[in-house]
Amino acid sequence: MSWNDSMIKQAKKIIKMYPQKRSAIGPLLHLAQSKDGYISDDSIAVISELVGITEVQVKSVSTFYSMYKQEPTGKYLLSVCKSISCEINNSKEIIDVVKDFTGLNNNETDENDLFTFEAVECIGACGGAPAMQINYETVEGLSSENTIKLCEWLKEEQPDVIIAEEMQDNFGGTKSFDWAIKDQSGTTGSVPGFQTFNTTKEKK
Amino acid sequence: MSENIKINVNGNQIESTPNKLLIEACEDSGIHIPRFCWHKRLDPVGMCRMCLVEIETPRGKMLVPSCTTEVTDEMVVDTESEVVKKAQEGVLEFLLINHPLDCPICDKAGECPLQDQTMAYGPGESRFVEEKRHFEKPISISEIILLDRERCILCARCTRFSDEISGDPLIEFIQRGNKTEVNTFPNEPFKSYFSGNTVQICPVGALTSTSYRFKARPWDLKSVRSTCNGCPVGCSTELNSSQNKMLRILGVDNDSVNQGWLCDKGRYNFEYLNSEFRLKNPLKKIDNELKETSVKEIYTELSELISDRNTNINFLIGTNSTNEDYVAFNEFAKNFPTTNQTFYLNDDYLYAGFFEQDINRATIDDLNNSEAIVIWAEDLKENLPVLYLRVRQAVKNGVKLIVFGHSNSTLEDIADFYYSEDIVSENFEIIKDISKLKGIKEHVKDKNVTAIIGKSTPYQLDEYLDKLVSYLVENSNSKIMNAFSSGNTFGAINNLDNVKNLRDFTKNVSSENTDLLFIVGSDPIGRSVFSNEIHRIIEDIDNVVCLDLFLHETSELCNYIIPTSSTLGEKEGTFTNIEFRTSRIDKLVPSPGQSLSDWEFISGLSNFCNFINNIDSLDGLNELAYQDFDNQDSPSFKNLDKPSNFDGIINDYQPNVSTMPNETITSQYFVGKKLYGDNITIRYSDSISLLGAKQFIEASESTIEKLNLSSGECTLKQNGHQVSANYVVNNKLADGVIFIPQNRRNFNRFDFSETIEISPNQSKEALNVN
Ligand code: SF4
Ligand code: SF4
Ligand code: FES
Ligand code: FES
Repeated sequence: MSWNDSMIKQAKKIIKMYPQKRSAIGPLLHLAQSKDGYISDDSIAVISELVGITEVQVKSVSTFYSMYKQEPTGKYLLSVCKSISCEINNSKEIIDVVKDFTGLNNNETDENDLFTFEAVECIGACGGAPAMQINYETVEGLSSENTIKLCEWLKEEQPDVIIAEEMQDNFGGTKSFDWAIKDQSGTTGSVPGFQTFNTTKEKK
Repeated sequence: MSENIKINVNGNQIESTPNKLLIEACEDSGIHIPRFCWHKRLDPVGMCRMCLVEIETPRGKMLVPSCTTEVTDEMVVDTESEVVKKAQEGVLEFLLINHPLDCPICDKAGECPLQDQTMAYGPGESRFVEEKRHFEKPISISEIILLDRERCILCARCTRFSDEISGDPLIEFIQRGNKTEVNTFPNEPFKSYFSGNTVQICPVGALTSTSYRFKARPWDLKSVRSTCNGCPVGCSTELNSSQNKMLRILGVDNDSVNQGWLCDKGRYNFEYLNSEFRLKNPLKKIDNELKETSVKEIYTELSELISDRNTNINFLIGTNSTNEDYVAFNEFAKNFPTTNQTFYLNDDYLYAGFFEQDINRATIDDLNNSEAIVIWAEDLKENLPVLYLRVRQAVKNGVKLIVFGHSNSTLEDIADFYYSEDIVSENFEIIKDISKLKGIKEHVKDKNVTAIIGKSTPYQLDEYLDKLVSYLVENSNSKIMNAFSSGNTFGAINNLDNVKNLRDFTKNVSSENTDLLFIVGSDPIGRSVFSNEIHRIIEDIDNVVCLDLFLHETSELCNYIIPTSSTLGEKEGTFTNIEFRTSRIDKLVPSPGQSLSDWEFISGLSNFCNFINNIDSLDGLNELAYQDFDNQDSPSFKNLDKPSNFDGIINDYQPNVSTMPNETITSQYFVGKKLYGDNITIRYSDSISLLGAKQFIEASESTIEKLNLSSGECTLKQNGHQVSANYVVNNKLADGVIFIPQNRRNFNRFDFSETIEISPNQSKEALNVN
């Protein structure tokens, strides 16, 4: 098994929360991803053994969801929305800008493993379209200029924690809602931020 | 039973039991609804939408998939409306968007539901001009199965089969949406004993077998219905041939037996029929060399030996013959007062069994109708594969499963109670008080129980099994099935007057009491654990006549060899399965050269010697076999050929098996059989031959450590005999227990009562230093 003891321990704790072992696959995949940044075949083998189903059944679940990455991503996962609301608000341009800046096509990672670019379906920020996510932290009301600045900032500063609030203040525009509680926590890697998996952090 | 309900389909009233799926209710009344994903034996998924029909609802007419909709009283259904037709056209147009339409090079063409239904219900033309999705043309997903993902219409039949029915879900949908494909996990091939079924139920040519690929066109095939004689389950089959060559075997849905499924051995172990190594002409040994001769010459020589009827004759008979063959031998033997009508069956697992009057016999369907199933026998998956599927099915329906013994490891996963090392000793004795076991107390005592009982290894003592059976008979309402696992064993024990096993053969038969030995379709030297003894005995006997398909370790030693027709597709007759169900064996292809059926040879010999001959026609033999039965339910050809009896007829035979109980355990190892062995027919069936060739032993991790094995390979050594093998970790085996598969090459030459030296092979590098 390629997982260390503490991960196995955590996995077992997760499994206990469900009446059937196999119901725990979802969180276990997140756990795997919090370790590697993607779902490796090794992790699939471990999960399959832990929950008692075959590897290919785990693989079937993990490949069904696009947020379980099948390959390692760069340090920053740039997910630009291409769905309808963003599309009418010129997401095409944002996509082009990001592609230009990074030199990447859809689902590609640069050779320094810094950026991965993907065009994704609606990220739930239609009110602030066009929008994108960096490591699943959302920035809304983007303009081409600000998108470039955002990318430059990422490239130069290479922050370890990505915080939506902070990016929104510096690079964003109109937001869907402006009455939400301020949230100073962000993600620590190119995977969704979960406290359970230690992938989220408050800014000090 | 609840009352039938009435529904209205296309203006006609039909009846159905409640809760039935609409598609099935219509089917039962002769109304066909097209479908791809729905399969009677699989749970519905509503995946393909081909079965859309209109039903009337309070909100008007509505399209629903008939494979996921249950009938309700007074439901009004239209399966042919304009809307339905439009829906069907739409579904087909969508399905064909990504379908390669490579029918000219597709094995399914001609019997392809996609082709047929496109003709019958399709739009006739396509509006799709874009590029179709592409995949690498067929990838092999196991040694015997190939998958062409471009052709797949994602009906999930194969994946549901492997999950729901066979319980080895090694194929699944990968990815999502337009990218969805069926596939395996890297380095985890679709290694299933039942994989051929997925090829049969795939509604397109996406799944194909190495065995049948590119061999024929469906419209060129001839076919007959028959019964698989691979093991006593006796699955119903359809045999297909083209140009007098057997090319394929399909499962036929016999509700009481195999429900359409076959194991891969039953399905693919026919290729040997076409092997160039088949015996074609009679052979005779002259100066230690086998020379071609004629049947007549053999008859002449044998008649000199036997015409005075005082010759001591013995019979060693295999389990691959038909009931009619057995009757012929039985009648023939009556000519010789000295034979005592004793027949030694080529089976080291056979023992007296449980056939007494006061024991109720179980049918396969009883598994579903009982409260608990108790199993103590050879590993069912390896030895009675489709019975294993039926046990799985019963367990899925809520029947409790109680399994004894470390040989049934493949049942452990589904057993509610699995009693191994603490309860069953290394020698396969139950060492705890049966009545105190939780599973027995709760689910067996005073309950309806079906038990499958047989020896887990040739060395298990009969009395150990007797104890469990007496407990079941006394304490529950039990039905018992004898788990003998080779071929037509049940036909043999019904039709031969007195049957003994190979152990008896080694004890009773010698050159002193045998002038002539008939060996029929048996290779005990190559397969049985008594190999060495039998080798010595046969070598000593002056006259040995062998009837067989091939030259092999045993037939090689004989003085006369008669080539025979295979029970698989080369002759007619009947077969009796594990529940005493007799069904038809049919002929489809000619046998090579001068091959004869066993009965033809024996009847000819009988004629030649001017014995009273009542065995000179197949019909006559068939009548003889079933003369004791009431005309109505006798499984005579006449009755079996009525369509209502195609699934076979169960009869109440009183077999006479009188094996001598072995009194001492004489094995230090756990000796058992695997599905694929190294027997001659598998060796010559190309697509599966490799599956039975690997030599290995199994033991738990700690046992392997104790043996100091670390290099992956080891050597087994004893008195100059040596086999090199892989070892496989099987932690289900108790500490210190080593499993040795007797039907893999050369293992059966060991004397298991003595220690076998097992040592690690030196690594290759070490060997290479010169
Ligand atoms: S391979 Fe065949 S059976 Fe399996 S999902 Fe595709 S079409 Fe259906
Ligand atoms: S289970 Fe037995 S009878 Fe059925 S297909 Fe397999 S070998 Fe033949
Ligand atoms: S469409 Fe872009 S966020 Fe909803
Ligand atoms: S047969 Fe009903 S949806 Fe496929």
